[in-house]
Amino acid sequence: MTHPIIRLVNRNITISLNPGFLIWQVIFPLVYIFVAGFAYAPLVQGIQFGEAKDLGYPAFLASGMIGFNIMNSTLVSGIIIWNDRRHGMFEQIMSGPFTRGHYIISNICTIAIVGLVSAAFIMAVGYPVFFEDAEISLVTIPIIAFGAVAGSVLFGSLASIISTRLRSSEGFNVIINTVFLFFAFVSTAFYPAEGVQEPLRTAFYLNPLTYLVDVIRAGIFGGVDAFVAVEVAVLAVLACALFVVASRLLTRLNV
Amino acid sequence: MPHADTADTCIDARHISKMYGRTSAVDDVTFSVQRGRVFGFLGPNGAGKSTTIKMLTTLVRPTSGDISILGIDAMKRPLQVRQRIGVVLQQPSYEPTLSVEKALDKYGMMWGVPGNTRRDRTESLLEEFDLEGVRSRRNEDLSIGQRRRVQVAREFMHDMDLLFLDEPTVGLDPSARRDLLDYLQNRVRATGLSIFYTTHILTEAEYLCDEIAIMNRGRLLEVDTPDALKAKLGDEKTIKIHLPSRPPNIRDLLSGMDGCRIEFGGDHRFGGGGGSHTGSHTTITIRSSESELVLLRVLGILRENRIEIEDLSAVPTSLEEIFLNMTEELRGQQGGGPDTGAGGDDDDGRRNNRRGGRRA
Repeated sequence: MTHPIIRLVNRNITISLNPGFLIWQVIFPLVYIFVAGFAYAPLVQGIQFGEAKDLGYPAFLASGMIGFNIMNSTLVSGIIIWNDRRHGMFEQIMSGPFTRGHYIISNICTIAIVGLVSAAFIMAVGYPVFFEDAEISLVTIPIIAFGAVAGSVLFGSLASIISTRLRSSEGFNVIINTVFLFFAFVSTAFYPAEGVQEPLRTAFYLNPLTYLVDVIRAGIFGGVDAFVAVEVAVLAVLACALFVVASRLLTRLNV
Repeated sequence: MPHADTADTCIDARHISKMYGRTSAVDDVTFSVQRGRVFGFLGPNGAGKSTTIKMLTTLVRPTSGDISILGIDAMKRPLQVRQRIGVVLQQPSYEPTLSVEKALDKYGMMWGVPGNTRRDRTESLLEEFDLEGVRSRRNEDLSIGQRRRVQVAREFMHDMDLLFLDEPTVGLDPSARRDLLDYLQNRVRATGLSIFYTTHILTEAEYLCDEIAIMNRGRLLEVDTPDALKAKLGDEKTIKIHLPSRPPNIRDLLSGMDGCRIEFGGDHRFGGGGGSHTGSHTTITIRSSESELVLLRVLGILRENRIEIEDLSAVPTSLEEIFLNMTEELRGQQGGGPDTGAGGDDDDGRRNNRRGGRRA
């Protein structure tokens, strides 16, 4: 018999893979990259990246979409907990052959898998757009993978925390949409932080998606420097902190 | 405390209590259930049934007391208990985006049931629970009754020794309800499955259960077989006499009767109980354990006063009446109002516990 965590991950992935989720994960990023990317290209001229690299807007946006899609998909996966509570499946699972530990770890594994698959998908789709500028190497691949996993855990934990605190659909949707809007658009996913006026520029760096996008972008275009190293550290600390909080809340969740 | 860990006992609950803050949901409840039996747990909304079932299924830890399930200490080894039981909770639980067929299969997978077995069981359960017509429909698109059938059917995807059913017929129509009870009965006969069944529908308990516990306000009032309960508490009969008139002195005429309880009115043609009838008919309801003697005396009084009788019937007291009498009697002793069941249908028993009830 397979391990309970694997069984729960199997179940989580099955219930996540519905048409709405796939459209959200596949169609939206494609539209962003190939419609918004090329449509805005004439307005956004070469973007300075690192010391000697000018990126076209489609390449900049496609790389930003990787982090964006990781956030997007893991927020949705984190919602599994909310859905389980809302539809009685949390209690049902807890009355079955599983512990809370199984449940928490299976959700984190699901989120990490969805995040990695999502990142790989956008990498593959966006590669034609950014391959000319890409400097992917054996050094940068682990950075990209780290960014994907840390970002997944971070946003998945955030969604889990929200899931444990809210029960009504209205409250949950308002919070998730607000969080999504802030994270998506007050970040470097769509535009560079350089040149942005204060206090918006500072707000960019209060957003974990900025760190995720910067780390992945640096991994793709080879601009890993001291500032990116700090961003890696911030991402790791935030992911760990939110994971601990999410786990504690889940452990105390009443049935 | 050591448990009566005999091969014949599947549930052994000793002095279990559950407090939520300073309010008591379950108060010092003790009972045991024999293997291969259907044990009914009856009580009105808010009686503490769901809290009890959550303690027995290890979802909630008792404040005090001991629970042994299938010979396993439920407090020390909850996972071992959960691996051998099935649970259908009172609240609906479903995967909204999965089809009925997929939901059954995935539930079996979660329990580690091999693929071939899952396929066979899915087909069999779809047929037995009359779900073939909706097998491809998503759970969120089902009616409440269909969803409930899926919820119950799903539990039979895996093997178990003991099944907990918390008001499983809520939302089912009478036909589906009877089908489910028959299915459960057959499973018990065929496999020796033990069932712990909570309900507030007395006819269900009478039809299905080998033994019945009656609970109210967190306390156990009686535990016995349906027949024994009726013999013990339902030896009285109910006599109903319909009069085509409204004799003004009828209350006075019958006021001196001993060994019985008499109510006037109660018929839909009247303005309510207690004799405040407003129509042109009267219904006299007499409850007595000496019904024949009482009836003869009442008939004598009516004949002497030339009061015409339209209709007369005498019926044994049903389990439902026993239950109502017990819970009303307890309310009377406690001087409380009607038990509104603080949690409504979502009975988590979080309400003030008033003491003074009858004990098993």
